[in-house]
Amino acid sequence: MSNTKVSMDPKYIIKLTVTLFLTCVVVAGLLGGVNAITADKIAASNWQKTVEAMSAVVADPASTNFSDAMELTDAMTAAATAAGGTLDSVYEAQVNGQAVGYAVKVVSSGSQGNIEMMVGVDTDGTVTGVSIVKNSETAGIGSKVMANEPLATGVGVLDQFVGKSAADGTLTVGANVDAITGATVSSRGVTAGVNAALAAAGAIG
Amino acid sequence: MNIGKQFKEGLLTQNPVLVQVLGMCSTLAITTSFFNGLGMGVAVTIILTLSNVIISAIRKIVPDKIRIAMFIVVIAGFVTMVDLLLQAFVPALSESLGVFIPLIVVNCIILGRAEAFSYKNGIVASFFDGIFQGIGYTLVLLAMCIIREFLGKGSFGGGLLNGGAGIQIFPADYGVGMLTLPVGGFLTLACLIALMQWALSKNKK
Repeated sequence: MSNTKVSMDPKYIIKLTVTLFLTCVVVAGLLGGVNAITADKIAASNWQKTVEAMSAVVADPASTNFSDAMELTDAMTAAATAAGGTLDSVYEAQVNGQAVGYAVKVVSSGSQGNIEMMVGVDTDGTVTGVSIVKNSETAGIGSKVMANEPLATGVGVLDQFVGKSAADGTLTVGANVDAITGATVSSRGVTAGVNAALAAAGAIG
Repeated sequence: MNIGKQFKEGLLTQNPVLVQVLGMCSTLAITTSFFNGLGMGVAVTIILTLSNVIISAIRKIVPDKIRIAMFIVVIAGFVTMVDLLLQAFVPALSESLGVFIPLIVVNCIILGRAEAFSYKNGIVASFFDGIFQGIGYTLVLLAMCIIREFLGKGSFGGGLLNGGAGIQIFPADYGVGMLTLPVGGFLTLACLIALMQWALSKNKK
């Protein structure tokens, strides 16, 4: 029995604790340093990605400007949640100072994690484009949906949403939306995101 | 210390993937395009080498009872640094490898080498062990990427050459699409392991 007895020598326990604590402090300090160097760059690259994503979902990217993020109302947030996604932010798309639609950023759940996506909706409530900002879908399967691979009909899986509106009813995979083979869950995630974006845009002012 | 012997062990007789059968998760999941394999291989090699050197350097002051916890802290620190740096400077790679970069923390190759090698050997030997084991891992990843990409999609160098599309050797429609799915990863890996064991046992005779 004696060899299974845990050594309770306080000095030894303190030594273990202090060693581990100091190691964590040093590592955390180094990580803070790396974060300080990279945080701005990551934020800048994310904003650039956001602008690129917004430009990809409006009808006329060259002459469109984007406002800063709009204030989200409870009605918009609730509408998006009811449709199966989480509203992240809304930007107004403007041509010559006139509002032509909205770029709605929503988060929906995919097969491996959250899918952050940008959905362009014009003032009539029709989808003008869908693009993916951030995802962690499985490389080679769900990533096909993220990369807008063509469906059997030749239309890209994200492009099929263009022209759909709230008048089409709730978009559902298998009914009025086609999925990529083997990536049904990812396709459903994107569809839920589009539904949420349409609902949120419908609830604006 | 025998660099030649370590080199041979890392690449062949003690290859981390084909002989030690470590790091299966990432090996199966990300080997769908050349760029992914190369990026993952280089990231793991860098982290493995750094953590090997640090663990070897602190091996005399690490109390035996908490060594695994110390290893994990050191490894997690390096992985987070590499993750942040990739997001800041190579966002394309960071996006494509997705969740598998943070998962390097629990990649058995790194913890395995810390426990089996660098905790017992000098800094220089541990440095070379990290490099050679990393190269061994990278070569297997590349072999799997090339096989799966070529037979599955008929292309070579996806994500890197020819503007990211890869060089198409034969039309993608004639490829065995199954190989790009997870099941193809298992099949390819099984064939490579079988080949390796056959070659090793033949060599012994």
